[in-house]
Amino acid sequence: MYRLLVIPAVILLLLAGAMFWSGGPAQKKADFTFISTDEVHTLDTQRMSWMNDFRVAYGLWEGLYRLDPQTLVAIPGTANPIDVSADKTVYTFHIRPDAKWSNGDPVVAADFIFAWRRLLEEPGEYTYLFHYIVGAKAYEDDFDKALKAFTDDSDPDHKTDHFAKADFSKVGIKELDRLTVRVTLEHPVLPFPDIVAMPPFFPMNEKAMKPFLDDKAFHDSHEHVRRYKKEFTHPPNLVTEGPYQLESWAYKRRLRMRANPNYYDRDHVVSKVVDMIFAKDEQWAYADFTSGGADWLPDVAGEIAGELYARHDPQAHIFPVFGTYFYSFNCQPKFNDGSPNPFADKRVRQALSMAIDKRVITDTVVRSGQIPTTTYIPPNSFKGYKTPAGLPYDIPRAQKLMAEAGYPRGAGFPHVHLLFNDDPPHAEVGETIRRQWRDALGIDVELESIEAVTFANRERNHDYAISRASWYGDYLDPSTFTDKYKPDSENNESGWINTQYADLCQKADIEIDPQKRLDYYAQAEALLLDEAPIIPIYVYTECYVMRKNVFGLPLNVRSMMVFSSVGVRH
Amino acid sequence: MGRFLAIRLLQMPLILAVIYLATFLLVWVAPGDPFARTDRKADPIVMEARKREMHADHWWRFLLYYPRRMFVGDFGPSFSYDMNVATIIDEALPVSASLGLFALTIALWVGTTVGTLAAVRRNGVFDWMSLSISLIGVSVPSFVSAAVLFAAFSVHWHLFAIGRWGSISDMVLPGIALSLAPMAYIARLTRASMIEVLSSDYIRTAVAKGLSRGPVIWKHGLRNAFLPVLSYLGPAAADTMTGSFVVEKVFNIPGLGTHFVNSVLNRDQTLILGTVMVYSIMLLSLNLLVDVGYAFIDPRIDITAKAAA
Repeated sequence: MYRLLVIPAVILLLLAGAMFWSGGPAQKKADFTFISTDEVHTLDTQRMSWMNDFRVAYGLWEGLYRLDPQTLVAIPGTANPIDVSADKTVYTFHIRPDAKWSNGDPVVAADFIFAWRRLLEEPGEYTYLFHYIVGAKAYEDDFDKALKAFTDDSDPDHKTDHFAKADFSKVGIKELDRLTVRVTLEHPVLPFPDIVAMPPFFPMNEKAMKPFLDDKAFHDSHEHVRRYKKEFTHPPNLVTEGPYQLESWAYKRRLRMRANPNYYDRDHVVSKVVDMIFAKDEQWAYADFTSGGADWLPDVAGEIAGELYARHDPQAHIFPVFGTYFYSFNCQPKFNDGSPNPFADKRVRQALSMAIDKRVITDTVVRSGQIPTTTYIPPNSFKGYKTPAGLPYDIPRAQKLMAEAGYPRGAGFPHVHLLFNDDPPHAEVGETIRRQWRDALGIDVELESIEAVTFANRERNHDYAISRASWYGDYLDPSTFTDKYKPDSENNESGWINTQYADLCQKADIEIDPQKRLDYYAQAEALLLDEAPIIPIYVYTECYVMRKNVFGLPLNVRSMMVFSSVGVRH
Repeated sequence: MGRFLAIRLLQMPLILAVIYLATFLLVWVAPGDPFARTDRKADPIVMEARKREMHADHWWRFLLYYPRRMFVGDFGPSFSYDMNVATIIDEALPVSASLGLFALTIALWVGTTVGTLAAVRRNGVFDWMSLSISLIGVSVPSFVSAAVLFAAFSVHWHLFAIGRWGSISDMVLPGIALSLAPMAYIARLTRASMIEVLSSDYIRTAVAKGLSRGPVIWKHGLRNAFLPVLSYLGPAAADTMTGSFVVEKVFNIPGLGTHFVNSVLNRDQTLILGTVMVYSIMLLSLNLLVDVGYAFIDPRIDITAKAAA
């Protein structure tokens, strides 16, 4: 008998041990707590591209410019004043003398140059934004070539300096004095201030990162390759210069920020401690919010958002954002398997576009205030931008176009797939559109649902006929949308290549007259909509759920916020 | 015994190597790129540089770099989060282990008791009840039981706070949800083997020599009837400890189960290999422990018999 009791006793002992190992005392509630259904992927500002990473970054850092959370206009941040040349190609940033890092170091020009140089040497998703700067692209390419030669070098002593050719002094980033940095652009870029406010342009504190430098690579490469272990982004190692500093980060549990005592504008930081609670499950997140565990629940979607919208829940705030849900056609002459592609014909693309009643989708499928749209760039996003009309919902015209293209009533139309990733609401949207196409045009597409990473892979390889797509603007300018369909864009999954479109975009990119510039972009968008490599379906909405006593949380189209202005009234 | 242990311990690295290679192969041929974002696409230069940095530009470079580091517990960096795989496992494993062992404790106590009582009162009302309840336990998937428990006790009746992971009370509901399946299985195993044991000669002898009912059942009977349960405990422990993805998701528990699923969805190769290896090591050790436990409970069992033959 006693022998038998040993087994449960052993299990209980192990249990006690495991609990001791996992334990940690519960911490006091923060001044402001929000729940995120996405974890922070990285706190290396140069590797960020996820929305939630950006959100936290705007709490921990501040760029030379920063965005006014109410108006989203770029205003001086860590630098003040900022001189811009008359031709808008030279920016001279005078860093505030009172700007300090969380470790007390002053913020200096070298901190920015160090960070920007690193982004060219170890490029990330947003390095392309640096290509506006004189010589930046060339330096990135030269450094990459050198790095490849260095990696493949069989010489154990690394005698050759492969990096001699990569010359950073040719890049238009210059330190004029300790607190002044000058950036020279290839051509005028009107939204450059908005771009500089983004995390890839944030400074880094080299001193704090030094202990994490890969010494061997640095030494072998003749002090050129600077690789840092990820630990530099973990507390207590991470040094930042924004309103907050990183206090703790328990992976997939909680991230805590505490007011940075050295921040120049520290007196206006409302909540001293901010917690991000991670919750993968939306139902749990909403239940936790209602039970008082959090003050703010952003990015609510699906069923919950639909329900809150339907009952006009006073705690729910639903507003349109700078993002579009659309379908994308593969426009290449032939599919990857060599069979002819009906969507190479513009008329077919237009017909499919005109045969969709988008209101049915927003009203009965996604159901949380999304706006049916015929345009690619969400309308009314910019003052002075003449949003083109796009293709209307017009079944007779769609049928006529199909007949002209050789598919009267769908006869002879090849069997094609509609591809989407297996997350809501894509299957339901797809089913609705499939039905509409069948009823209006007599064609039957097959729905193909695959897992997200495989989906991205197929999209990249143009291995699809029609695919579900979406785009969110990175900054408040048409170019962040139009760039996607430039012929050489990595993000142009459609294979639609149009030189007239590229010319219009190019003209707009370098134009310094704001109105003319917007007009060029509007022409480019009109052309894109008429050519119809995509079918715009609806403008996304964001759903915030927050307590009534929360203040200072702006509801703007980019769902962009800075934590320093947010607080809870007691 | 010593020889047996030595052989088993020597086999382990071999088995682990096979598991590693098989997993690696599957991970490497799976479509999709661990470094590619699903919406923003990076320049090929960026992708290549990132792969080089992570030693993942060629399959052989990966194999040359990562496996040997595992001997010192370094699984490398996660490909999709700026965390070391070892750190992720170090934070998630104890959580899963606490929850799993808690669930196992419930399952073991309740399962064995119910199973024994059902066997003793065979075909009685209690037997039928326990049979039906264990049938439900075996067949109701955890996403149903977990969601029902959460909705009823946390959201509706507020008996358990929707807590951050940390205190014992946070463990009760997920523990119950996770224990239902093994509990039902243990109950049925115990019942079946108890019925067999109770009709054996030595029990009859014990009854005949005048022992009272209690000691006969709980001391003499259960000791032998428990053996099949014991052999199930190894895999059951590994199962509950590495966590159920579903239970962890419903109760927002930062355990290892989440990483199993998400690492695959992200094609996070190092994290997949890390979690698979940890799971394998646990499974192998627990099975070994169970074999040793066998000999401990019933010294007549010669676990070396097979090895010697």
